[in-house]
Amino acid sequence: MIPPPFRNEPTLELRRPGERDALAAALRELDRRLPLNVPALIAGEQGTSSGIESRDPGDPERIVAVAGAASGGDAAAAVETGAAGLREWGARRAEERATVLVRAAAILRDRRHELAALEVLECAKPWPEADADVCEAIDHLTYYASGALELERGPDLIQARGERNAMRFAPLGVVAVIAPWNFPLAIPAGMTAAALAAGNAVVLKPAEQSPGCALALIEALHEAGVPVRALGLLPGYGEAGATLVRDPGVHAIAFTGSSPVGLEIVRAAAQTPEGQDHVKRVVAEMGGKNCVIVDSDADLDQAVPAIVSSAFGYAGQKCSAAARVIAHEAIAEPLLERLLGAVEVLRVGQAAEFGIDVPPLIEPQATERVEGYADRARLDGRIAFEAVGVPAEGCFCPPRVVTDLDPDSPVLHEEIFGPLLAFESVPSVEVACDLVESLPFGLTGGLFSRSPVTVKAVAARLPVGNLYVNREITGAKVGRQPFGGNRLSGVGSKAGGPGYLVQFAEPRVLSEDTTRHGLLLD
Amino acid sequence: MVAEPAPIAATAEIESEVWRIGAEIHAALPSPARHPVRALDARAIQASSEDLELRAALFRLVDVTPACRSLDDLAGHLGEYLEEVQEPTPPLSAAMRAAHTRTGRRALGAAASLGIRHMAHRFIVGETPEEALGTLRQLWSSGVASSLDLLGEATVTADEADRYARRCDAALEAMASAAADWPGRPALESDPAGPVPRANLSVKVTALTPLLHAEAPDLGVEDAARRVRPLLRRAAELGAHLHFDMESLDTLETTLELALALLTEEEFREQPSAGIVLQAYLRDSTAMLERVFDWARSHRRSSPLSVRLVKGAYWDHEIVEARQEGWPAPVFETKAECDRSFERLTRRLLEARPLVRVAVASHNLRSISHALACDRILGGDGRDLELQVLRGLGDDLAEALADRGLRVRAYCPVGDLVSGMAYLVRRLLENTANESFLGQQQRGAPLEELLAPP
Repeated sequence: MIPPPFRNEPTLELRRPGERDALAAALRELDRRLPLNVPALIAGEQGTSSGIESRDPGDPERIVAVAGAASGGDAAAAVETGAAGLREWGARRAEERATVLVRAAAILRDRRHELAALEVLECAKPWPEADADVCEAIDHLTYYASGALELERGPDLIQARGERNAMRFAPLGVVAVIAPWNFPLAIPAGMTAAALAAGNAVVLKPAEQSPGCALALIEALHEAGVPVRALGLLPGYGEAGATLVRDPGVHAIAFTGSSPVGLEIVRAAAQTPEGQDHVKRVVAEMGGKNCVIVDSDADLDQAVPAIVSSAFGYAGQKCSAAARVIAHEAIAEPLLERLLGAVEVLRVGQAAEFGIDVPPLIEPQATERVEGYADRARLDGRIAFEAVGVPAEGCFCPPRVVTDLDPDSPVLHEEIFGPLLAFESVPSVEVACDLVESLPFGLTGGLFSRSPVTVKAVAARLPVGNLYVNREITGAKVGRQPFGGNRLSGVGSKAGGPGYLVQFAEPRVLSEDTTRHGLLLD
Repeated sequence: MVAEPAPIAATAEIESEVWRIGAEIHAALPSPARHPVRALDARAIQASSEDLELRAALFRLVDVTPACRSLDDLAGHLGEYLEEVQEPTPPLSAAMRAAHTRTGRRALGAAASLGIRHMAHRFIVGETPEEALGTLRQLWSSGVASSLDLLGEATVTADEADRYARRCDAALEAMASAAADWPGRPALESDPAGPVPRANLSVKVTALTPLLHAEAPDLGVEDAARRVRPLLRRAAELGAHLHFDMESLDTLETTLELALALLTEEEFREQPSAGIVLQAYLRDSTAMLERVFDWARSHRRSSPLSVRLVKGAYWDHEIVEARQEGWPAPVFETKAECDRSFERLTRRLLEARPLVRVAVASHNLRSISHALACDRILGGDGRDLELQVLRGLGDDLAEALADRGLRVRAYCPVGDLVSGMAYLVRRLLENTANESFLGQQQRGAPLEELLAPP
């Protein structure tokens, strides 16, 4: 079966009441089945099944999933099993692998309401974003299915007379996928699907906050036909991931998460201990400090809502979220006034309610971290707005806008990953670009301008992986906005784009002399 | 996906009536010689609609104008937009050269600014309601009623919504007090259902609340209701009409629910006179109309709910959003389907009288003639039907219809250049669309084509 041409999975049309009712019903149904049981899955066998509890961030009393906290021994077993699974899965033709991935996508599609509900409960994703995440997971599966076929065809090489040249791609081996909780299906699905599409075996270590979502992905892939030995699930804390990374049987690591952890993985992966006869590859998506530049000719009607949703959507817990607004001084005052007013009307509340803008943060430590930065902002600048009356139960954190910050303040330089937006005024777009360039990150960026010349100039200067002009800076779509950062924000090619799959494959070039005794035979 | 309902069989009787009425109205439209300035505008607009890149450059310029800090800045932007026109005509090349020097930019900026202001004044009757009162009185005297629409920047904060509500309140007051001195125009101020208010204000829900969520329409309803209740109260006191405009589909549920819920409240069960809008391009428009009828049947008012039938002005937005999200288009995708829907709904509305008051808003000679023909065949004499046009686009038509003694209302936007820009761009887009009626008319299409059944 040849997969049909890729198209993004349509999101639910939530403006229609019937769609909302279906989601609410799915949530009630899922709630009755909690807590979910998420054991480690090695060769399809259930392993360690306790030690981790994922809780509803909006109602910490509610346990969403009980998962196994995998040990170092579990990790080693998972990698060893993966090596065996690789022989089976890696030997299959691309077309067969693609078929399996497309089938897995169909399984997720059939369960989309339930899965969106699971994201609402396990990760406090508001409905529209939970649904979009399920769609993106489906997109990754179908996109890399098409990519597998393309990879198998290989690139066209120059064919001189008398020789035949071909470039083919073989699987790397066992890929460790270490995934975050903030896009609890889409990101693990993307990294896992890419590795599988290229013929690798995968051990998935999901975030301890979202094992339930990870299990749904693994179930779909197994059910679709990925051999159980070629795909293991290793729920656990950071230590399980670290063990996995160091295992000499692992050939590549696909990671999405914070910069400190990502850099630690890069360092660990560089080791080649005795008995490991390969260099590990690392594909890592890490943190950012994403800036939105607003020029004097910007349409503020357009800029304000886009900035607010980029900064406060999912309470700012996206690596692509806006953290700083750098405004041209000519419009800084009206922009700030309107921004503050727009943040004031944001609705903070439970993700399960429709119309919530700012849900609770993932866990109490996250709230503590953001509050720490808020304290720092009070010292280094001024809190221009802070929402009052956020719910006391659950990990809620008030949306804040801070101004007048000391240029050296960590609030302007470190990733906060929460609902806190810094606002600055600059004399020109050039100065704004200088500020962005001086950051060690390069993930996403935004620009509001109606000058084609300015758009070109800023695009040429900014080192960010994804620059968004006159729109929100989050919500990259597979195949349309391949996603990934530069500098300390990431290593490797962009997810959901051309060039991503090849990172999970080993190129092999075959050159054959087709002459005999100097005679051309072909 | 909702299938398009089968068209009502176009009887020979209706068609011959459409033809007769259409030909008469067409003959009454003023010739270009009588309005040389309008004819000039029409030619300029025609020229830009033939060159898509130039049209894009023009719209981008209009759009950025309020944000430009000086003529120099404006000319700079114009120069940049023109750079993107692939094969500039000699006058454009001259403009592009001018944009490269300082004096050139100043002259170019002044010319562009003047041109845009000229266009804006054609569509926007004044910066404030007070400024508009003269025009409203003139219109009234010449037999054309009006509905005032307050343009504004997008509402993103609670303050902005409050400010907009205050502007609405002041506009109601200003209109009502000015209208008291207008001369009597029986055709405009009564219909078989009773008196028709002179003062008429159209409001938009997106301006009255920052809490619009397509997936949670109740939030917007609740928040906007706080601001709309005092306006309904004021309209009732002043004997004015309040009309709830319809915008994109994302806010339809909020708008409709807001209007119907408020008019159900005890205080507003009888007064003021109020209305809603039905967009014919929506595939679900028939279902929406039935819902309105159901409501009207259980909430009889002494001044019946008015329903303004329009084609719908957010077609591009609906199509773009649906394509990007992978949804089926919520609107009919061809002009013929939209026009057929318009005629079906016209008929359905006219048949439902006196349950609702009917206003048909169109610049399409065929749609208008069809409405008048249906009215005639259903036994009407034109008094139980209102026709609406947009100020600046349908002026000739309004005049011709008023001359026939029909009740015509011009939709009159008010606001400064900054807040009027989005409106202006929308109107220009409409006016330069080749398949629009106005485009057809400007091309000098024959009457057979203008009146052909969709």
